[in-house]
Amino acid sequence: MTVGLKQPPVDEGRKPQPSAGGRPPKRRRLLTMAKARPWLLLAPALILLAGLLLWPLARVFIFSLQDYGLRQIVSGKTKFIGLDNYAEVFGDSSLWTVVLPNTIGFAIVAVASTVIFGTLVALLMASLSPLWRTVVGSAVMVAWAMPAVTGTYVWIWIFDADQGLVNATLKGLGLMDESFNWFTNPVTFYGIVALNIVHHGFPFVAITVLAGLLGVPKEMLEAAEMDGAGPIRRFFQITYPTIKPVFSVVVILSTIWDFKVFAQIYLMPGGSGSNREVLNLGVWSYVESFGQNRYGFGAAIAVLLTVLLLIITAIYVRTLFKEEKV
Amino acid sequence: MHKRYLSAAMAAVVALALSACGGAAGGGSTGGATDAKGQTLNVWIMKGTNPDSEAFFDSVGQEFTKETGAKLNVEYVQWAGAHDRFVTAIAGSTTPDVAETGNTWTAEFADSGALAPIGDKVKEAGLDGDLVKGLAESGTYDGELYGMPWYAGVRSIIYRTDVFKELGLTPPTNWQELVNVATVIKTKRPDLIPFPVPGDAEMLAYPWVWGAGGDVSVQKGDNWESGLASDKAREGIRFYTDLATKHGFSTAGATTWKETDVLDNFTQGKVAMAISGSWTPATILAKAPALKGKLGAIPIPGKDGGISPSVLGGSHLSVFNTAKNKDLAWAFVKLMSTGKFAREWASKSGYFPGQKSLLDDTIKSDDPLVKSFAKQMVDGGASVPVTPKFGAVQAKKTTNSMIQAILSGQKTVDEATSSAAAEMDAIMNGKKTP
Amino acid sequence: MRHRSLSRRLVKAALVALLLAFTLFPAYWMISSSFDAQASSGGQSLLPQEFTLANYQYVLTEGGFGTFLRNSAVVAFFTVTISGIVALLAAVAVARFRFKFRTGILIMVLTVQMVPLEALVIPLFVQVRDLQLLNSLVGLVIVYLAFSLPFAIWMLRGFVAAVPVELEEAAYIDGASWGRMFRSVLLPLVAPGLVATSVFSFIVAWNEFIFAMTLLGGAAENYTVAIGLKQFFGVHANDWGPVMAASTIITIPVMVFFVLVQGKLSNGLVAGAVKG
Repeated sequence: MTVGLKQPPVDEGRKPQPSAGGRPPKRRRLLTMAKARPWLLLAPALILLAGLLLWPLARVFIFSLQDYGLRQIVSGKTKFIGLDNYAEVFGDSSLWTVVLPNTIGFAIVAVASTVIFGTLVALLMASLSPLWRTVVGSAVMVAWAMPAVTGTYVWIWIFDADQGLVNATLKGLGLMDESFNWFTNPVTFYGIVALNIVHHGFPFVAITVLAGLLGVPKEMLEAAEMDGAGPIRRFFQITYPTIKPVFSVVVILSTIWDFKVFAQIYLMPGGSGSNREVLNLGVWSYVESFGQNRYGFGAAIAVLLTVLLLIITAIYVRTLFKEEKV
Repeated sequence: MHKRYLSAAMAAVVALALSACGGAAGGGSTGGATDAKGQTLNVWIMKGTNPDSEAFFDSVGQEFTKETGAKLNVEYVQWAGAHDRFVTAIAGSTTPDVAETGNTWTAEFADSGALAPIGDKVKEAGLDGDLVKGLAESGTYDGELYGMPWYAGVRSIIYRTDVFKELGLTPPTNWQELVNVATVIKTKRPDLIPFPVPGDAEMLAYPWVWGAGGDVSVQKGDNWESGLASDKAREGIRFYTDLATKHGFSTAGATTWKETDVLDNFTQGKVAMAISGSWTPATILAKAPALKGKLGAIPIPGKDGGISPSVLGGSHLSVFNTAKNKDLAWAFVKLMSTGKFAREWASKSGYFPGQKSLLDDTIKSDDPLVKSFAKQMVDGGASVPVTPKFGAVQAKKTTNSMIQAILSGQKTVDEATSSAAAEMDAIMNGKKTP
Repeated sequence: MRHRSLSRRLVKAALVALLLAFTLFPAYWMISSSFDAQASSGGQSLLPQEFTLANYQYVLTEGGFGTFLRNSAVVAFFTVTISGIVALLAAVAVARFRFKFRTGILIMVLTVQMVPLEALVIPLFVQVRDLQLLNSLVGLVIVYLAFSLPFAIWMLRGFVAAVPVELEEAAYIDGASWGRMFRSVLLPLVAPGLVATSVFSFIVAWNEFIFAMTLLGGAAENYTVAIGLKQFFGVHANDWGPVMAASTIITIPVMVFFVLVQGKLSNGLVAGAVKG
């Protein structure tokens, strides 16, 4: 079960796609069977995806055009109000001063830190002996394994204003006179969230990039070293181009995960609505819907979040399809 | 001046305290006609800073089964987040049969069509004359009673008598004395938090607004107008938050504390004085028996003497439309809110009963703790705006955000109160329909 | 030269030590506090001051975490199993067959992965309500299936494509039917991929928060670990010992699972995600 026991089929993608349905059909009945088979195989997945992702996606848009409150949900009556919800979302000054900066700014910082840190860890791991690589790998797994909810509480505990380790240590070292509440200031609040996200998110990057790194042909690196290329140049000239697809995947996936971060904010002190300076799109949508019974308004915020992510997705799909033809 | 904040609720209490109220419905036997063998009644009861009530509900459950044959299934729900929980349950039609609803929420839930009217049943049982008026009013929506008054509670200041004795202090009777006393505690007992100012507990902020002569929100014609940004309200809020930001009587952590955190820290012996509910001494003593005999209570002092009014809170028992057997639900409500169990609940928890006849007994208690709270209730009880929309204001955490923003230095008192008032007006006047 | 390599090794050792400290510290702190009788009364030190098991005892009995663990295990089991089967079937279809709309379906699978789940809370809540599955674990499993499927299909597609067609053809020549070939040739070869995808489905089911909170509402007896912990924290916000004990209990199963599948996981990621 060690890394590299099985060859990752990295270059399989270059192979021509196998022709349809295994062996050539002999009779017409078989032909229709072969035609139907992929659809039969796909049916359960398609039904689930359509019913639980596509239809709800359409519905969230329909809701966003309504005054959809508790009374409407209970009675089942609809009341369309056109684009009023959107007008309110875009007319809300806190969208521009607080929510969007928090959402986008945080995603950029978190993605950059996660990917850079994860890559550095992967490079370090690649240079270790197999034993130490396993040790570090297991530690990284431990960080990954910590559920978001648990991890969030642990960080809250570490930064707790009255009993937390950080304040106690800083006070003990004489660096701080009065306890500081890390959760009230939006910058330190998001600093802790970033720490939480990086700690939880870098293992995916590290493990994926490491697997890619191990696939980089040694001969090329050695040849480059012979030519006198330093480690940084070797990384950017040989390693990076080889594992570029890996990077596009981890960057995009991290972006998507960090845009949607919810529990890590909602559970922090003040994060569920009382501290207005720390709202992001996800939490805002949730508290407006399930706290204020304004499901239509919440849906409009959700649509905004979806559109933002779909733009990123479009870029993702284009990058991937450019890299190799599916 | 008094009239401005003295709610109808309190007027009723005062009136009844003067009148000799003959005990009305007393006995324990309720609707004996209900036979519901094999059925289960699902009930939500709130919990938070009140004493653990599981033992109480065990005995209620036994009695309930004896009377009706049905089983009682009680689910305990945290006050914090309970509003969202209710709203979600209403939206999903997964409400219980009966629930304890905070008195500011009942009208809102009734407005959404989730509650079953109970006025007729109350009349049938002959209880309508015995309801505490303030609670009955907040349980009424559109002329129909939806919430059965169960109990009332009020917040005053609790303090550590041992600390006061040790330092030779007497309880404060006005705001300046409060500052003086807390200053002494701060210098002589640095291990204690003299007076925590929590940033996520609106009910602890209103007394200062009223105490300075301000208003939370008043109805003018069809409109509600928030008074939080008035000079008087600002003075009160400034005084309250200054206790933390200027005088340092609170802690940095308290900026994100809820009321439960105040209580936890008091129980752990870290707090000298705090605003706390009439139901909390029992909780504290249950968790920290070492504090027995060391607890005192005083009404929240007025600015220049007298009393700063505090919120007369309370709970209703409401029957939800999802209840299949409404008679069974009502049997439970009646069992809980009258007679033996209502009395026991009040005496054990430190709540004031929702029946006039029972309330009278409690107010006459000799217990010094109960006396102080009763004084606060009778002479200094006030009410938050009675409208379905105020529940939405609470869910939006408008006041909490305001206090928190001031405590953390994000906003000045003037900025924070202005934006809170604007938000309150927007929600309460239905610009944002909940 | 030797001197240089020694200092290099020292730097590397220091980096490894720092990395281990950063990755393991939260877990260490969580576990250490959970055994500390003094954890709630402040004055923390790096080692437990007074060793105790009382926190665990409390959490498992009064805290109800036995029930939460069972619920999460049930949800995770069904999510992993069903999504594994459904995704494998779909992956075979897109990797082994050429048919109309194939590319379209691939793009859709890729795109729906990006839909923010938070955006779907409202419609899915209404939908699960209409199915009368609120407050039930079944409703939760159905929703989690939808979330884990796209990624699972995408990853398994890579694995299936990597199986040489010649092997399949050999099976046909031996007279095997398609179903037989699927069972005895394809399935064993994509098993590592199934392990990798199951990790992701498992994480979804074990860690998911917002839907568990919304769909389970007041049904505390059906709470999963994530939402059970939130409720527990609501009551015991200042009792860090029990809170950390509860956190430890719900983290350990995931950690064990992760460390066990470590090797398979990295292969799976490369094969599936990267080949994308």
